[in-house]
Amino acid sequence: IELEKSHYSDHEMRKLEEEEQLKKKKESLYDEDEARGKTVIMAQDLEEKWEQKFLRFKAAPRITDADKSNDRTSLSRKLDSNLMLLVKQKIGNQELWLLPQVEWQPGETLRSTAERAMATFLGDHIQAKVLGNAPYGIYKYKFPRAIRTENNVGAKVFFFKAYLQSSDLSQAELKADYLWVTKKELGDYLKSEYLKKVNRFLLD
Amino acid sequence: DALLGCHRSYRSRPTHGIGKFKYLLPKEVPKRRKEKVQMKEISEGTEYQYGDINIQMTSYDLCLVEHFAQYVHRLCNRLSIQVNESYAMPTKTNEVLFLEERGSKMQLDAVLTTHQRVVQIRGLSSTFAPILLEIIQSNQPEGVHLLMKQHTEADFKSRLKSRPELEELLAEMS
Repeated sequence: IELEKSHYSDHEMRKLEEEEQLKKKKESLYDEDEARGKTVIMAQDLEEKWEQKFLRFKAAPRITDADKSNDRTSLSRKLDSNLMLLVKQKIGNQELWLLPQVEWQPGETLRSTAERAMATFLGDHIQAKVLGNAPYGIYKYKFPRAIRTENNVGAKVFFFKAYLQSSDLSQAELKADYLWVTKKELGDYLKSEYLKKVNRFLLD
Repeated sequence: DALLGCHRSYRSRPTHGIGKFKYLLPKEVPKRRKEKVQMKEISEGTEYQYGDINIQMTSYDLCLVEHFAQYVHRLCNRLSIQVNESYAMPTKTNEVLFLEERGSKMQLDAVLTTHQRVVQIRGLSSTFAPILLEIIQSNQPEGVHLLMKQHTEADFKSRLKSRPELEELLAEMS
């Protein structure tokens, strides 16, 4: 990144000095007696060794197998963007793709409800961390006329964000269908109103 | 001639000190060297506000760390979060020796330097803190470790050097 105004490093200085010494040696032969304290390993040799090592080193591939097969249930696809968990849930009569959702019990904080939702869908020992007590977004909807009573006109869904610390989900017992999707692919699964509200707080 | 024509404002003349202006400027108090900084934390009931928070970035690569620290600082400026200080901790050098047992015993040295940059922030509201953390986390470059923690006295003292002679003298006196 920083290429201007940089000084020569130790290694480069050493290289330059040794090049000059070599030149002097070729031109005049009496330098052999003076340069008795010469190093066994030349800087040039070291550089070549390092280059060979570098060529042997292979970085891990960025486009993993899951990307090629477009397997949406694995976590190792799309390594450079964020993935969200979607679960198929039954609400009322319909089966919908939703972010994991659980009813709030009175007397519980909203954050603990979110953690309980995570526990029900991902198993007990998850290393996911919820940051802060404040929700990220809400979605209000009204029930269809058949279910509406005097008090319950509709419901509000609060969204929380949690970070997975480790990608080790082998212990997870997910009974329902689950998917890990990016922000763009959310549109394939969620309903439009829900999607609009959810999109507002998701970073890619 | 020009040489004879100039009037030197001598002390007896009324024009003495005609070019002075320093008395018009506001008075500057000379800075004291010792900084005894003890900031208080604010954490009220419903309106949560964190006190001083340190964002520490460590990495082996100097350019990346510096640029990332600059980015964080500018981000906080734009989001109008008060930044107390942004300083650097001293670098730690590690020497890695490879002992190759094949053929001739060679020791390949690698000298690694670990750099640390700290950005100190005050007045972060708790509704905004997770968003900020998320933004910083998603923009982390590779190889940079991020750490956010509250500022303590121990953190402040780790920047100062201990003076063994002073301590000896103090011990002798008391």
